[in-house]
Amino acid sequence: MPDIQVILADLGWPLAIALAWLSGEFVHRWTRLPRISVYGLVGFLLAQAFPEALSSGASSNVTILANMAFGLILFEFGYRINLHWLRINPWIAVSGLVESAATFGVVYLIAHLTGMPPLTSLLLASLAMSTSPAGVLRVINEENSSGQVTERVLHLVAINSVIAVFVFKVVVGFWVFQTSGSLTQAVSHSGIELLVSAAMGAVMGFIVPALLRRLGALAQDGTIAFALGVILLVAASRAFDVSPVLATLTFGLAARHKRVAFSRTERNFGGIGELLTVLLFVFAVSTLEWERVVDGAGLAAVLLLARFLVKTASVAAFAHVSGIWWRKGVLTGIALSPMSVFVTLLLEQTKYMGIVLVDELAALTAMTLLLEVVGPMITQRALIWANESPSQEEK
Amino acid sequence: MALEEFKSSKPLTMGVELELQLISLSDFDLTASSPDLLHLLSRKPFPGNVTPEITESMIEINSDVHTNHTELVAQLQVIRDTLVQAGEQLNIGICGGGTHPFQKWSDRRIFSKPRFKEVSELYGYLAKQFTIFGQHVHIGCASGDDALFLLHSLSRYVPHFIALSSSSPYVQGNDTLFNSARLNSVFAFPMSGRAPFTQSWHTFEHEYFAKMEHTGVIKSMKDFYWDIRPKPEFGTIELRVCDTPLTVERAAALAVYLQSLCAYLLERREAAPEEDDYLVYNYNRFQACRFGLDGTVVHPKTYESLSLREDILTTLRKMEPYGAQLGATAGLQHLMQVTHEGSDAHYLRQQFDASGSVEGVVDAAIHRFRGR
Repeated sequence: MPDIQVILADLGWPLAIALAWLSGEFVHRWTRLPRISVYGLVGFLLAQAFPEALSSGASSNVTILANMAFGLILFEFGYRINLHWLRINPWIAVSGLVESAATFGVVYLIAHLTGMPPLTSLLLASLAMSTSPAGVLRVINEENSSGQVTERVLHLVAINSVIAVFVFKVVVGFWVFQTSGSLTQAVSHSGIELLVSAAMGAVMGFIVPALLRRLGALAQDGTIAFALGVILLVAASRAFDVSPVLATLTFGLAARHKRVAFSRTERNFGGIGELLTVLLFVFAVSTLEWERVVDGAGLAAVLLLARFLVKTASVAAFAHVSGIWWRKGVLTGIALSPMSVFVTLLLEQTKYMGIVLVDELAALTAMTLLLEVVGPMITQRALIWANESPSQEEK
Repeated sequence: MALEEFKSSKPLTMGVELELQLISLSDFDLTASSPDLLHLLSRKPFPGNVTPEITESMIEINSDVHTNHTELVAQLQVIRDTLVQAGEQLNIGICGGGTHPFQKWSDRRIFSKPRFKEVSELYGYLAKQFTIFGQHVHIGCASGDDALFLLHSLSRYVPHFIALSSSSPYVQGNDTLFNSARLNSVFAFPMSGRAPFTQSWHTFEHEYFAKMEHTGVIKSMKDFYWDIRPKPEFGTIELRVCDTPLTVERAAALAVYLQSLCAYLLERREAAPEEDDYLVYNYNRFQACRFGLDGTVVHPKTYESLSLREDILTTLRKMEPYGAQLGATAGLQHLMQVTHEGSDAHYLRQQFDASGSVEGVVDAAIHRFRGR
C-alpha cells in the first residue's frame, strides 16, 4: 500500500495546475477577469492548504519548468520590442527611465523611514521598479489589444525590467562585497553576470535565425526552434549561474532585429506555452505564507500605492510630448501594475547566495501576492478603458 | 432621398484616394491604431485630408484636386512624409499593398462611426473581410452624360489598371496565386461589379436609381461598390479597381494614365460603348487579377485575344501626345517601366523569397512606402 504522503507529493502539482486552469476558465468566462489572476489565487490557496504537496526547491522540476515558462514569455516579449522606436521617439525611453528612477527613490525612502536596513531597502526599491513582463504580456495576448497603451506598456516594461535586474544585481554585488570583502567576487556577481547573460542571449539570437534560414523553413519551424532555443538558454543560464531573464529577453530582441518570423498565430507558444504559464503563475505564489502576507499587508499597501502613483504620474507627464493624449498616458502608467512573477523568479535565483528577501520581508510577500492577483486585473482595465481591447460583442 | 444633381466640374481634373495599412512594428500584424494616429495628425495641419476607414487598422488619405502629374505627385509625397513621421513617433508602420499578407480578418475592429457600424450590421463578416486596401481615382466631368459615357468606355481598360496596380498576392498567410486577390473580396458584396448600361444621366437617375431606391436595397451612391461609379456630388467618375500601390509615385502614375485615357476617349474617336462590351468584362477582369501583366484578355469589339502587357504598352504609346499635353509624361513613363520590371505583386513575391516569411514581406512594403 503506497504511502498517502508520497501519493500527495506526486499528484500535488498536476492537480494544482489542473484546478487552477479549470478555475481560470470558469472565472474568465463569467467575469472576464484575467485568467492569470485566478491561477495565482488558486495557487496561493492550495499552497496554504497543502504546503507539503506543493513544495518546490531551487532545483526541483517545478522550479525548472517555471523558469522555462518564464523564458518563453520573455523571449516573446523581447521579440515585440522595437529598439529603433526608442531612438525615433526618445520620450518613451525618457519616461521609462524617469518612472523607474522615481519608483526606486520613493520606495527606498518609504522603506528607509520605516526603519528597514539600507541594503534591504535598496533591494526592495530595485524590485519595485520592475513590472512583470509575464503578467503584462499574458493580459495583452488574452485581450488581443492593440494601440498606444499596449505598445508603450510593452516597451516601458522592457526598460524598467532591465534597469531593475541591473540595479538589483549591483546591490547584490555590493552586498557580496560587504560580506566577503572581495571586489572581484562582487563584480563577478553583478557586472560579469549581466554581460554573460546578455551575450548568451545575443549568440542564440544569431544562431537560431541563421539555422532557420539555412533550413529554409522559417514559417513552419520557427516556433519549435525558438522554443528549443529558449529551453537551452534557460538551462545554460542555470548551469553558468547567470540571469535567464536577461538572456531570454536578449534572445528575443536579437531574433526580432534579425527580422526572423515568429508567427503571430503562435502567440504564447501555442498549447504547451499556455500549460507552462498556468504552472508559472501557480508556482510564483506557492512559496508565500499567509502569516507573512498578513504581517506585511500594511506596509505593502503603502508601498504599492506609492509605486502605482509614481509610475502613473511619471508616464503621464511625458504623454503629450511623446505623441499621445494625457488620458492614454495615465492609462499606460496604470497598466504597469503587475510585478510579482518577475520578483519571485529573480529572488529564486539569488536564494543560493543567502538572500531570502521574500521569507524575511513580510511586506514583499504581501506585495507579491497582491500584485499577482490584482496587477493583471488593473492592466486589463487600463486596456479596456483605453479602447484598445475589442468589445465583448466583437470578440 | 433622391439622387443628388450631377455637379459639373472642370473636365480632366483629378484627385486620388489611398487606403493605407497600419502595421504594428512589434509583430508586423495590422494594429488597431487609427484613433491614435488621427489624434497625433490632428495636432498639426495636414497637407491633404486623412480620414478613418471601416476598421481601425486602416486610414484613407486623399489629395486635393489637381490638373497635372507634377503637382499631384508632390502633394502625395508631402502627405506620405507627414504620415511616415507620425507613424514612427507611435511605432506604427504605414504601407500600401491591396491586402495585408497574414492578418486574421476576425481580429479586426470596426471603427466607431455610425455608417461603419451599419455596414457591419448588414454585411456581417464581410465588413471585417473588407480590410483590404485600394486606390480610388476621381476624374472631373462636365456633365452626368459625359460621366456615364466615360464610365462605360473605360470598361475595356479596367484590366490595365488592375494589372498595373496589383499588389495583393498574399491572403491569410498564403500565396493566392492571384496578383490582385483584393478584388475577390470586393466581389462578395451584392452591389459590386459593373454599373448598369445607361449613358444618359436622366435615365440613370429616374429609372435605374429611383427603382433601386424604391426596392429599399440602396439609399445612396455609397451603397454601390462598382468598379467605376459616378460621384454626382463631386462631378466625377471614380475608378475603384486599383490595389493601393506600394509607393505614392505609382499611385500618381496610375491617376495620370486614367486622366490621359479620359482625354483620349472624350474625343470620341473610338467606337461608342455598348452593352455587349460587357460580355467579356468579367473574364478580362479575372485574367488581370489572376495573372497580372501576364494575363490574356479578349477585345470586347473584335473578340481578338491580346496579351495584357502588349495591350497596355500599345495604349501607353497611344497616350503619349495626351500625356504631353496634360503634363503626364513622367507618369506614363513610370508605367512603361512597370510593364518591363513587373508589378508590386511581383516585388512582394521576390521579398517573400528573400526573407522567407510573410512578416518579411510586410517589412519590405513598409520600407518601400517610405521612399527613402
